[in-house]
Amino acid sequence: MASRLVAGRLIAALLLGLAAWGSAALAEPLRVLSWGGAYERAQREALFAPFTEQTGQEVEVHQYDGGLDALRRAGEAPWDVIDMTRSQALAACRKGLLQPLPRDLPAPAPDGTPAERDFLPGAIGDCALTHSLFATVVAYRTDAFPGERPTRIADLFDQQRFPGPRALQRTPAVNLEWALLSYGVPREELYRLLSTPRGLRLALDRLSELEETHWWEAGDESPRLLAEGEVVMASGYNGRFFDAAVNQGADIEILWDAQVQEHETWAIPRHARHPEAARAFIRFATSTERLAELARHIPYGPARRSASVRVSTHPASGVDMRLHIPTHPLNAERAIEKDETWYARTLTRMDDYFTAWMEEREAPARDAAEEESNPVATP
Amino acid sequence: MTPDPTLPGGGPLPVLRFLGLVLMGSAIGGVAALAAAGFVRGVLWLNELLLISPRSRMMFPRAELLVLATIAVPTLGGLIVGHLHRHIPEGRPHTPADAIAAVQTRRGRLPARAGGISAVSALISLGAGASVGQYGPLVHLGATLGSLGARLMRLGRSEDNITIACGVAAAIATAFNAPLAGIIFAHEVVLRHYALRAFAPIAAAAIVGHVIATQALAQGALFHVADTVVPQAWEFGLFIAIGGVGALVAGGYMHAILGVGRLAARLPLRPSLRPALAGAMLGTLALWVPDILGMGQETLRFATIPGAFGGGELLLVLVLKIAATALCLGMGFSGGVFSPALVIGTLFGALCGTLVASLTGAPQESFIFYAVCGMVAVTAPVIGAPLTSLLIVFELTGNYALTTAALASVTLASPIAAQLFGRSLFDIQLHGRGLDLSSGRGRALLMDTPVTDYLTQDCVTLSPKASLDEAIATLARERHSEAYLVDERGRYHGCVTLAELEAARQEAGTHRDIRACVETGRPTLCPGSTLWEAMALLEEVTGEALAVIDQGVFRGVVYEVHIAHAYLHQSDALRREEHGNG
Repeated sequence: MASRLVAGRLIAALLLGLAAWGSAALAEPLRVLSWGGAYERAQREALFAPFTEQTGQEVEVHQYDGGLDALRRAGEAPWDVIDMTRSQALAACRKGLLQPLPRDLPAPAPDGTPAERDFLPGAIGDCALTHSLFATVVAYRTDAFPGERPTRIADLFDQQRFPGPRALQRTPAVNLEWALLSYGVPREELYRLLSTPRGLRLALDRLSELEETHWWEAGDESPRLLAEGEVVMASGYNGRFFDAAVNQGADIEILWDAQVQEHETWAIPRHARHPEAARAFIRFATSTERLAELARHIPYGPARRSASVRVSTHPASGVDMRLHIPTHPLNAERAIEKDETWYARTLTRMDDYFTAWMEEREAPARDAAEEESNPVATP
Repeated sequence: MTPDPTLPGGGPLPVLRFLGLVLMGSAIGGVAALAAAGFVRGVLWLNELLLISPRSRMMFPRAELLVLATIAVPTLGGLIVGHLHRHIPEGRPHTPADAIAAVQTRRGRLPARAGGISAVSALISLGAGASVGQYGPLVHLGATLGSLGARLMRLGRSEDNITIACGVAAAIATAFNAPLAGIIFAHEVVLRHYALRAFAPIAAAAIVGHVIATQALAQGALFHVADTVVPQAWEFGLFIAIGGVGALVAGGYMHAILGVGRLAARLPLRPSLRPALAGAMLGTLALWVPDILGMGQETLRFATIPGAFGGGELLLVLVLKIAATALCLGMGFSGGVFSPALVIGTLFGALCGTLVASLTGAPQESFIFYAVCGMVAVTAPVIGAPLTSLLIVFELTGNYALTTAALASVTLASPIAAQLFGRSLFDIQLHGRGLDLSSGRGRALLMDTPVTDYLTQDCVTLSPKASLDEAIATLARERHSEAYLVDERGRYHGCVTLAELEAARQEAGTHRDIRACVETGRPTLCPGSTLWEAMALLEEVTGEALAVIDQGVFRGVVYEVHIAHAYLHQSDALRREEHGNG
């Protein structure tokens, strides 16, 4: 008994020593999991390189391949910091895969405003800290509607004033919200109303009224459809539309009304090897200065107000990025916050409703097409 | 230099006392607002937890359990509510009507225990999805807290009435986030007079409530209206007509509640079990028409959207919502009448709008106007507050065109309903309990004061067997002009006056029986008689006093001069309360 106790103490002492060595030595790179592509490039320039420069700590970037299953396996986690959406983080946190974050982890704003008041509501979670927000928005071809431009989400469904085909994502999410909003219901009541059969019916009715809808699935489809003039209005991710407009010169503009925002967060896995360094990185990467810098490279909205108002120009094109980030006060005024808890519980049912509606909608169209094709087939 | 007594205003002491009252009002406003905010949040939380809110129902994965919960939750809620009400002396929840009665009769002193139990039972009723309102309980909770504050500070009855009104104003200001409506409601429904002395503390309470509502509650508006078109001129005629018909809907709604209450009293079921039965029936009905469950905020919203309901559907939900609310309130759930009236009125307005659109074929651009007109036309008569209803529309929508349309509607609604049914459901209920407020506060006060307060045994009583000489001698000795004949068993045999006795002696000599001299037609009072009844009797009688008889037994007399004094005293107190400055 006594010998076992001594052994336990020895191991504990050893572990403590190891931990101290780990945080102080910086011998190993900090392993960060992120999304790759332009997003990762922006993070390298705005976050990873300056962090290494300031602290001497190397950062090694990993890319998602096949989700977060590695976290569930026993033993040490393969990453120290993870960039994940808030809904992913909520699920992982509930399963105990993430470390709780201390409340004082985020630094105060440069003017001394405490972080709790500087971050957007809901940004500071138990296991995850939102750094940026991206949005699903509607964009339109500027040359499609001479004279009048769409200003409200209801204009997406108004094909009398804004004629032309639309492209929407083949999911219930976002489409149902916009369709119900077009009746003039307040944003605060959106999910309560969508929870009733009547609300769902109204939303689907509105979607049914649209003539000629392209249903896209991959994120790059909608900017392409818009750029090629296949459709005149399309839903999509604000980053993609920015890329098409600024980097590729497409003639499109974003309608920010009723943008649906989603949170990108930083989180630390439960069994991270270097939790101390991970926390130091998160504190650095969520500072006002770094968030404002990140938003210069990619049009993701900083999660803190002090950073949103400091965002300046795109380094490559000189475009004023404030007009392109979802959280800038001008754009965020009528944003919808996606009710992730609601979606987490209802997604399968919503998908079922939506698929059933899609099939019902496509069936008569197919019949009509077959009928039309018959006379042509006969000589 | 002494202040000129002819100038209005007093010295520094009344000013300080008045400022103290304002401070007291804002403190009560703060407490009532926090309680109201807590109550509103509690209801929302319970609705999520107990699968009443559509959001929680949609998020719940098991359909068969949901069916079970829909019936079980209101039933169990009713069981708890029924049990709680056994601990209230009257066996029923206290409502704004009790607060109105306390203020109108200057009684004040709302019982804290019954008020607290009523608030808890209302929280459970609303949380369990009963079709009742939340504003009534909030108003009564605010009133109870106000009255409690006055008692804690050892203030008088007059101040008690003001602090009750402060609590009410703060509750409304918080719940609707509408401070002006809170102030007007306290005056229009509770105080029923306007005095500067009461206005300042009430306004302070409403402002504190408003500030707390914006800070602590941070809820969305009860209804939100996007930019609207301006209705056509001819449509205002329709809005007035909607008001007229809305008054009838309001009457039907009020009488449904009262009618179920009367029926429930005849049920062979213990009163404490009645809410459970109502809950079970409500839950079962809600399986087909979930719109009737709870406060119905989603239904309210959909009713303002053209096309969300078909015409027949509107009528069906309208009738079922009236039935469900009458069932819940009549069978003893605790809750208000305002929120269901909002839903019923809006459905009624939407029905009118749909009808007009189908008749004229006009586009439904002004649909929201019809919905709001219907809403005001039904709610204003039910709570007896046309101005409050208008202000709620104005403060919640900030839309002037909508408010003028509501004004058109309420113009007919309130007077018609008042003529046909009564000033409000509260007044009808109080009338049923023996308090008639239809002639104002002066009469209510007299009706609420029992004559026994002024009863005295200081009078001349004679045995019916006494001789004429004896009687006259006794009266002369006691310097009274009337005597009351009471036998050895204490039974009353009538009243004789000195003048009659003397006349009898002149006519027939001393051997005449004094019972022959009894004044016929002299009315008597019973211990339950009120000052109001005594005043009415005095119009026909001239005499010294009225005897109070309890089942034939003589209890004493009430002197006419005391009745007159009491009347003058009460009028004076009312005048000081209603016209004093501070």
